[in-house]
Amino acid sequence: MTLTAYLGFALALFGIGLYGLLQRRSLVAMLIAVELMLAAVSVNVIALTRLQGRSAGMGQVVVLVLVGVAAAETAIALSLFVAIQRAAHNIDVEKLSELKR
Amino acid sequence: MSAPVTAALLAQAAPLAACLIVLLALRGRPRAAAGVAILALSVATLATGYLVAVVAAPAVHQVAQAMWLPLQTGPGLAFGVLLDPLATVMAFVVAAITLLVMIYSLGYMAGDPGFARYFGFLALFGWAMLGLVLASNLLQTLVFWELVGLASFLLIGFWFERPAAAAAARKAFIMTRVGDVGFLFGVLLLVRSQGNLTIPDLLAAVPGMSPGFLTLVAALLLMGVIGKSAQGPLFTWLPDAMEGPTPVSALLHSATMVAAGVFLVARLHELFMAAPAVMHVLLWMSIVTALASATMAMVAEDIKRVLAYSSISQLAYMLMALAAGSVTGGFFHLVTHAGFKALLFMAAGILIHRAHTNDMRAISAAGGVPRAGAIGLFAGSLALSGIIPFSGYFSKEAVLATLGGHAGTAALALAYLGAGLTAYYAFRMVFLVTRGPSEASGAPHGPEAHAAGGETAMAAPVLILSALTLLLGWIGAWLAARLEPGVPWRGALEIGAGPATALALAAGGIALAWFEYGAANAPRVSLVERVSWLRDFFANNWYVDRLYAATFVRAATALSRAARWNDRTVLDGAGDGVAAGTVGGGRALAWFQSGYVQMYVAVGVSALAALALWITS
Repeated sequence: MTLTAYLGFALALFGIGLYGLLQRRSLVAMLIAVELMLAAVSVNVIALTRLQGRSAGMGQVVVLVLVGVAAAETAIALSLFVAIQRAAHNIDVEKLSELKR
Repeated sequence: MSAPVTAALLAQAAPLAACLIVLLALRGRPRAAAGVAILALSVATLATGYLVAVVAAPAVHQVAQAMWLPLQTGPGLAFGVLLDPLATVMAFVVAAITLLVMIYSLGYMAGDPGFARYFGFLALFGWAMLGLVLASNLLQTLVFWELVGLASFLLIGFWFERPAAAAAARKAFIMTRVGDVGFLFGVLLLVRSQGNLTIPDLLAAVPGMSPGFLTLVAALLLMGVIGKSAQGPLFTWLPDAMEGPTPVSALLHSATMVAAGVFLVARLHELFMAAPAVMHVLLWMSIVTALASATMAMVAEDIKRVLAYSSISQLAYMLMALAAGSVTGGFFHLVTHAGFKALLFMAAGILIHRAHTNDMRAISAAGGVPRAGAIGLFAGSLALSGIIPFSGYFSKEAVLATLGGHAGTAALALAYLGAGLTAYYAFRMVFLVTRGPSEASGAPHGPEAHAAGGETAMAAPVLILSALTLLLGWIGAWLAARLEPGVPWRGALEIGAGPATALALAAGGIALAWFEYGAANAPRVSLVERVSWLRDFFANNWYVDRLYAATFVRAATALSRAARWNDRTVLDGAGDGVAAGTVGGGRALAWFQSGYVQMYVAVGVSALAALALWITS
């Protein structure tokens, strides 16, 4: 498999994530989409470090850290969603526009 | 510092200190305030009396200065004191009259809620005038000149809760300001050309100045004099200044404020004499002013207005003498006038205090003229009319002799006519007040609120000044020897054609007043008062105020309207436009702040993509 294929896959993944982020109105769905975009970044890192060759293991380590950070981020985001749900009784971003006023 | 300089500084420092102490610390303690002020003016009177004794030797000039502002064009501006016979005698008159007015005010102003403030302002007035008189530098003169204006503004408007008093104070301030602009420009011209404003230096430099420059400077300085001394076109503030308390009028009309203008002409006499055209204008303007204000005094019903018009008229006599070339004549009349005009106002104040009105017929109807008031009124009026041996006779003779010697027959004849009118209106006032219909004396009086002590405090200065009207006339030769040592002094006791004519005219004026107002079956209405258009013309200041209302006041109002339109429409419009533009711009940009997170993300991503493309291309 060539590098282009990896990068194409990552681009597709990122595009799907971006589309989901812009399209879905539920905060949970948007979080899933953000995770997809993050995954695309991880794929890019693995592919590019592997191409560079000398320190491929370093890329894998960084990606493992990224996965951990993503998990933590998800946990925080979900807890925020719960808090928002309790305060506003909904998690639809179209209706969460308090700051406009 | 020599002893005279110390005394001069002390004479200025004492009233200033009293003014500050009274106004800052003693506002709630009237007795202490009056005590401090009177003490300070006593110190000033003693110090200036010492100065007269020490410095007033013939042709002594003593200048003590400290450099304040060096200038490129000359030596620079130095402030200090100038001690010569003119300054020291004037300073003594100022301090003594202020002191007498303060003592008189103890009675006149007793119980007034602003008693302490009043004495603070009087001390300020005394300080400003002493500073003006003793100033060695023309800029210093100008500063104190304005302080004198401020003090008279504060005192004329002392009862500021009365709209008439507030308006009179404003009018005095604004009208004198019109003249002061000229004074300021004159001083600026002198600074620019000489780089030095020390008065003796300026006078010494006069021969080196070009005639055109001198004429311009003299005319500009004269504007200030005209405003301050209520002459010519700027006289109308002085009759209105009656709204102040009567002792203030006594001070303002005699030794301070209006005297400042005459004093300035005497101070800079060499400079003014070097501009003969300006002096010629001053001479004829003074003659017109003297006669015009005398006619106004002939029909006034308010005792203080009669005295105010007579002040204008007498100040015009002083300026006539100065314009005709005699410092001694003008200054001598200034000194004697300070004495008898303060006396007349104080005597009138006693009557006003008793009758609670300024109207002469009402005062007469209230009846019972106090002895001190009657003595003061008679002595002051005899001096004002120029009856021998009262002080006014000698000084008016000096003025008329100067006019006869230097100003031509027409000027002299008109001045004699003015002297006759003076005697007439002075005794019209006396007879109106004292020879009223006796049947009205049983009418109820106003509340006699004042204490007996007040009567004494008011009577004492009146009696002192009454005695002085008999004495002041004899200082003429002494003054002449000191002010103009080279000029021979002709005593007025040599009865010649001039004094005889003046005395005859004065006697004629008094006799006319007697037949119209004094005699037992007198009509108490004069010939002039029967001609209604003439009476209205005189009683309304020759319609000068109305002329100003129709021209200057209307023009200023129109200008103010235009300025208000400019302010409301153009300036406010610009401000409002900026505000409206900001609000509109904010609104326009606010659609962008939709509150939709996904739109922000879309914009952010698009921007990043565009940036990436721009960088990589």
